[in-house]
Amino acid sequence: MASNDSGKTLLIVDDSKVSRMVIKANVLAVHPDWQVMEAGTGEEAIALVEQSVPDYCTMDINMPGMLGTDAAAQILQAHPSVRIAIFSANIQEAVQTRAQQLGALFVAKPVTEKSIGQALLHFRGPL
Amino acid sequence: MSILNEIERDALTEIFNVGAGRAAQSLSEIVGDEVRLSVPSVEVLRSGAIDEQVLPRTRGRFATVSQNFDGPFDAEAVLLFTEDRALSIVRDMMGSQMSLDELAEFEREAMCELGNIILNACLSAMADMLEITLNSSLPQYLVSSPDDISARLASAQGDESYVLVLHIDLVIEKHQTDGHLIFLLSSSSLHALVEHVQRYLGKIGLG
Repeated sequence: MASNDSGKTLLIVDDSKVSRMVIKANVLAVHPDWQVMEAGTGEEAIALVEQSVPDYCTMDINMPGMLGTDAAAQILQAHPSVRIAIFSANIQEAVQTRAQQLGALFVAKPVTEKSIGQALLHFRGPL
Repeated sequence: MSILNEIERDALTEIFNVGAGRAAQSLSEIVGDEVRLSVPSVEVLRSGAIDEQVLPRTRGRFATVSQNFDGPFDAEAVLLFTEDRALSIVRDMMGSQMSLDELAEFEREAMCELGNIILNACLSAMADMLEITLNSSLPQYLVSSPDDISARLASAQGDESYVLVLHIDLVIEKHQTDGHLIFLLSSSSLHALVEHVQRYLGKIGLG
């Protein structure tokens, strides 16, 4: 697994700096060679993806500006190969269903080592 | 001088958003529809500073649900909506076919339930993330004038007391409501809360 998992790029989208830092620290602990980009809004994320398409993306939903699910939908439409994990405190069925319909993984907040582990499994994809 | 630094405020906002997410999940089961509930901002003020800055200017009365809780820090939590907004929330919770008289009858009960759900969801998120235990009393419902509330806040703990104010956005059945969740804390309880937030930040490597 280590061989094809090396040197990947990850875009972390969250309006909370604390959440971004927790995700980044946990991911780098497992994959120190990954390159991490950060965005605080969905709009910023879309602009970053236009410059450089990441392999993976974690996306918050409730942010100032557009919803993270809408940003994820736009990113996936232009770049279907990006694997996205949607991290949200909003754990309602409707939200989880929306994430699944997009082909993204839904992960319930708070951001913890465990929830980040779920996202990493999703990024790796079926072995 | 600001009482919380940027990263502490950010951590508390995340904690309350996780709480709001849990509350929205419970409320959506009651109303059978998606509920939007978010906490866009958290701020800490001295209790004397609250009325002008925070409470919406209104001639009407407020519906409040309050609960005391204790643990590593003690606080009184007050959920506050203007009375007309509270009634429309109750209508959404109970079903719109009810008459106004019937609704008034259920107002106290429905608001206590709403308060119980929101307060406990926030307390449980705070307890889980900060790894502490918090106990809460039963919710109490009170309709008060803005003056009553100011007087209550002012008399709460003297000048060495603080309020943690959360703005709440609630959308049920396409009806947008906003309210406030206010925690009244003594200075020692506020310090204990900040200390736990710092410990949490330390644990995740941001202390």
